[in-house]
Amino acid sequence: MAKNTTTQGKAAAGSRQAKIQAARKSGGSGGANKIVVATVVLVVAIIAVVAGVVWTQASQKNAITGGGNALPPGVTALGAGFPAFPDVTPAPGAPTLDLYEDFQCPACKAFEDQLGSTIEDLAKAGKVKVVYHVKNFLDDNLRNDWSTKAANAAFCAADAGKFQEFHDQAYAHQPSEGEGFTDAQLKSFAQAAGISGAALTTWQQCYDAGKYVDYVNSVETKSFKDGVRGTPTVKLNGKELDLQQVGTPELFTQAIQNATK
Amino acid sequence: MSTSVDEVRADTIPWYRRPRVLDVVGLLARLFLGIVLVVAGFAKVGRPLTAQRAVQAYEIMPMGLAGYVGLALPFLEIVLGALLVLGLFTRPVAIVSTLLMVAFVIGISQAWARGLTIDCGCFGGGGQVGAADTKYPQEIARDASFAAAGLWLWWRPRTLAALDRVLFGH
Repeated sequence: MAKNTTTQGKAAAGSRQAKIQAARKSGGSGGANKIVVATVVLVVAIIAVVAGVVWTQASQKNAITGGGNALPPGVTALGAGFPAFPDVTPAPGAPTLDLYEDFQCPACKAFEDQLGSTIEDLAKAGKVKVVYHVKNFLDDNLRNDWSTKAANAAFCAADAGKFQEFHDQAYAHQPSEGEGFTDAQLKSFAQAAGISGAALTTWQQCYDAGKYVDYVNSVETKSFKDGVRGTPTVKLNGKELDLQQVGTPELFTQAIQNATK
Repeated sequence: MSTSVDEVRADTIPWYRRPRVLDVVGLLARLFLGIVLVVAGFAKVGRPLTAQRAVQAYEIMPMGLAGYVGLALPFLEIVLGALLVLGLFTRPVAIVSTLLMVAFVIGISQAWARGLTIDCGCFGGGGQVGAADTKYPQEIARDASFAAAGLWLWWRPRTLAALDRVLFGH
């Protein structure tokens, strides 16, 4: 290169120019054939995107399933919420409170820490009908399956009449986001919820079988279709509450009273 | 060394006289947009439900279609980003990438205008957030800066160290 004289340089540049012009005329005979390369790249790109979508869909189908049409006690259909506190007879005109939660959602824990006991007191007094819609969408984002497993475990506890107790244990001991629960931890929640002996064996069988996994998946799908885009979502008589406006036990109790007919 | 050749060529071929610095700016624009696209794409791979929901949360397309867009988008971003990093077919890829960014800006703007409270899901995540947690201006500004890089390459696809130059010589 350094030996290039001015004349040689000009000649080189001239032939380069000619090559470019030739390439322009013939569509790329100067270097690699641009049309051929473009076709190859385009085909590879399309295959990559299509294969990506197909692969993703296949991996989505491998998500854990189980239980088929099994419904937790009191639930009327797949996708429907779980009516908590089955032993309480609600007062006439008591409003319905729909809670949409995911056991791995930190904002749900914050909500439970703030208002959980208030809701529980109101529900036990028959002043509000609480319906839980336990979601599992965070599994996908956190790339684990602990939302589903914890939800399944909670409904297995519901079989023993201990849903609320299990639910409270799970939020009280929620791991930091992404870490997930452990099988042993979920079992310890069941025990702390008051399940023991033969009932614990039944709980374990239910948990291992994933009895309510399909039900939880159905709730996830149904609630998203119903417009629930995040957790926690709280609906009072079907109307979404702005949690910033009912953020204290007093304000929340007031909102329940206002909704009572 | 090659300076003499360049000077000579600059005499005969006027467009080559453009400062080398423009080629470097082009390279930086290519790497910036390319790396951003690859990173944004990989952040969404393996989280299919989240990716679908992120697109569905914009409430522009029917749910089913939005779901497929959500599944395809990560791979489209990776392909576009990889081609930009390689500098292969810089202009067509830059055009598609710019239009993609413009589409994102439109999507975010309409969500903002309609009062939806969503995260853009640009780098994974997405979906509804609290009304106080939306970041629409920042998200639009960020995507606009990506679009600017794309526009540069649309206007001037010639860049330093591009596969285009190796393969096609221009």
